[in-house]
Amino acid sequence: MFDNNVFKAGTCRNVTENGNTIGFQLETNITYYRGIPLSMVEYIRVAVDSVEIPTEDIRISVDENDWFTLKEAETVTSYKWEYGEPLYVRVLCEGGLSKGTHKVKLTVATRTAYIPVPLEGIKEREVVIQ
Amino acid sequence: MSRIKTCVSLYSLQDEYLNKRMTLEEIMHYVKDCGAEGVEVLPDQMLHGTPEPAQEELDKWNKYVADTGLIPACGDVFLNTNLYKNRTLTKKECIDLLIKEIKLAHNMGLHLIRLVSMVPYWVQEPLLPYCQQYDVAIAVEVHAGMAFDVKATNDFIREMKRLNSPYIGLVIDTGIFCRRMPRVVRAYETSIGTSPEVFDYMDSLFAQGTDFHQVLLKTGYQYPDELKAAMKCEHDKISVPLLDGYENYPYEVLDDLMPYIKHIHLKTFEMTPEGPEYSMDYKGLLQYLHDHDYDGYVSTEYEGNRFTLAGHPMQEKQQVAMQQDYLKKCLKEIQG
Repeated sequence: MFDNNVFKAGTCRNVTENGNTIGFQLETNITYYRGIPLSMVEYIRVAVDSVEIPTEDIRISVDENDWFTLKEAETVTSYKWEYGEPLYVRVLCEGGLSKGTHKVKLTVATRTAYIPVPLEGIKEREVVIQ
Repeated sequence: MSRIKTCVSLYSLQDEYLNKRMTLEEIMHYVKDCGAEGVEVLPDQMLHGTPEPAQEELDKWNKYVADTGLIPACGDVFLNTNLYKNRTLTKKECIDLLIKEIKLAHNMGLHLIRLVSMVPYWVQEPLLPYCQQYDVAIAVEVHAGMAFDVKATNDFIREMKRLNSPYIGLVIDTGIFCRRMPRVVRAYETSIGTSPEVFDYMDSLFAQGTDFHQVLLKTGYQYPDELKAAMKCEHDKISVPLLDGYENYPYEVLDDLMPYIKHIHLKTFEMTPEGPEYSMDYKGLLQYLHDHDYDGYVSTEYEGNRFTLAGHPMQEKQQVAMQQDYLKKCLKEIQG
């Protein structure tokens, strides 16, 4: 239902810090129609070329300043993922994505206030790393 | 004398906002240009930092209200009982969150908040002093799939009647008055893999004057053989449970609740070029409300946005304008 909100086009890129490529990141809108605290993110999954990234290598942020593991995010109630603003999803992997074309799949699920099952959205995009 | 007034819920224009084709300010002016008297807002959707947004955010909202002259008719409030993964919020936490929402509503010029369906009945009594202090009424939403057969809704109604305060009531979502299955749902769901036979079955239920929700109630949530035969593929197992939210109640279900009805969500799946909405009879409903002295807003809530076919343009603005035009014609006929 909210697949079209997931994985904003043109946002996937490698991340370089102090001259080292520490991983890659992408942006997504929310799989819901309102903003929620980060603790209400049920799960985030990333797969590259059909290989699932380990959960512990994923970090999320709403401001690209303070980053949380998914486990940490479970208690994060004072940072809100606003409707219309991206969640930054970063995958820590030395060297980032290799040059060339990759299929990157993002799955986002949020808990809602009144629907018993989380609202999931999935989007796979072809990403070209120059 | 009672009068039915028009309103637009900004829920209707959520995709315009999400994808930054329109700002909140532009949306407010668009609603005004459509001729609505009132505006309904989801603070969690369009006011950053809700339930405690920065003063700057509140100032912007109040400026848009003043500039457009729209009346802030209703704020749609949610209760994050599942804020944490490992436990449900305590009663105290729930009430404290809702007190913040009442204060926010007050600061936004709102006198009514819609509590999302399934909000527990026991919030009413502790919130009542705050409702009175801030002049903000609370009303739980009666929504298709979560309506009069659901315990939480009935518990809320029972407690509402016991407390019998002008500050506690109901919001009715007209998805409970579907007379046909919305065809945009069929078009969208079949485009992503649902068997058309499933929708033939749903259509046959409405033709018989019932709906899927009623069938599930009668069978104890077992799928009838006719439906099982219509389910031709694996995808149907995911999509069929989503078709529970279109109900076919008679308007008379509201007879004894009319004194408590604070607001109406006039759900829209598809305004047709000829005027009526495809699945609901607005004229019949408005006549019923008029005959029962309803004195409040009917608020456009366009939900066809989530059934937009891939590659097709979003129709939110057009659908809102079409519904407002049609409503005005109906109301002129009914109210003079």
